[in-house]
Amino acid sequence: MRPNPGVWHWLGPALMCVVWWGLFGFLAKVGTENVNASDMQVLFTAGALPIAAYIVVRRLRMKSDRRGRVIGTAIGIIAGIGNATYFAAMARGKASIVGPVTSLFPMVTVLLATTMLKERLNKVQIAGIVLALVSAAMLAA
Amino acid sequence: MTWLLASMITVLLWGIVGLLQKMGSNHGTSNSLFVWTTAGYVLLLPFLFGDSHLLSLPARSIGVGVVCGMTNGLGAWALYTALERGARASVAVPLTALNPLITLILALIVLGERLSALQTTGVVLALAAGVLLSYESEAS
Repeated sequence: MRPNPGVWHWLGPALMCVVWWGLFGFLAKVGTENVNASDMQVLFTAGALPIAAYIVVRRLRMKSDRRGRVIGTAIGIIAGIGNATYFAAMARGKASIVGPVTSLFPMVTVLLATTMLKERLNKVQIAGIVLALVSAAMLAA
Repeated sequence: MTWLLASMITVLLWGIVGLLQKMGSNHGTSNSLFVWTTAGYVLLLPFLFGDSHLLSLPARSIGVGVVCGMTNGLGAWALYTALERGARASVAVPLTALNPLITLILALIVLGERLSALQTTGVVLALAAGVLLSYESEAS
């Protein structure tokens, strides 16, 4: 398939996301060589704050209801603890393994969604779960 | 704590985050969710200072940590932008699941990490699994 110019309108930012998040994993490894996991999460927060501040100051589509605000804050607390354990994993393991292994987190999401949100697994996701378990067994060996 | 245990706890916590993001998506724009998530990060700060050596860190380490946080936020923003510009979630989200490939390449080239044959196979399967797991059927 040859992408037409219009495709880049969304494919460009999607690929930038891949680059930013890939760089995030690399910098997590580089950073934790000298910084402990909890300090890394403090610095991480300092990095996220200017982006949040930009959204607030520029008033960029900031609509939410009370439930959304509670869920958002809960996400920050749980993700922040998860980031700290991610930094701990990066400090102790190879980035080339910890990066791909921790990217298996959607397995937990889809399994929780089947029970909590009554979502149904599609065949692609079931194949993903099987692959995830096989890969985890290989990397844990 | 070994890297494996720390990784498993991360997978569990980030997995819960993924569920919460699904639950929150109908209750606010992605921008507002980002801002309130950052508020959650800030609320967590007092609990992180217990074992802090921030004041004795070299400027370079502080810089790496802050930029690390920025790249994470910029990645989220780039994904929101792609979706706002008409990217189908069933295509864009599995595509972004390939991000550890960049981490992997940088770790091999810049940090000189080496993997055994078994580890290489496991890593490739994990990347594929991440893509497949992120695939949401359009109609569901």
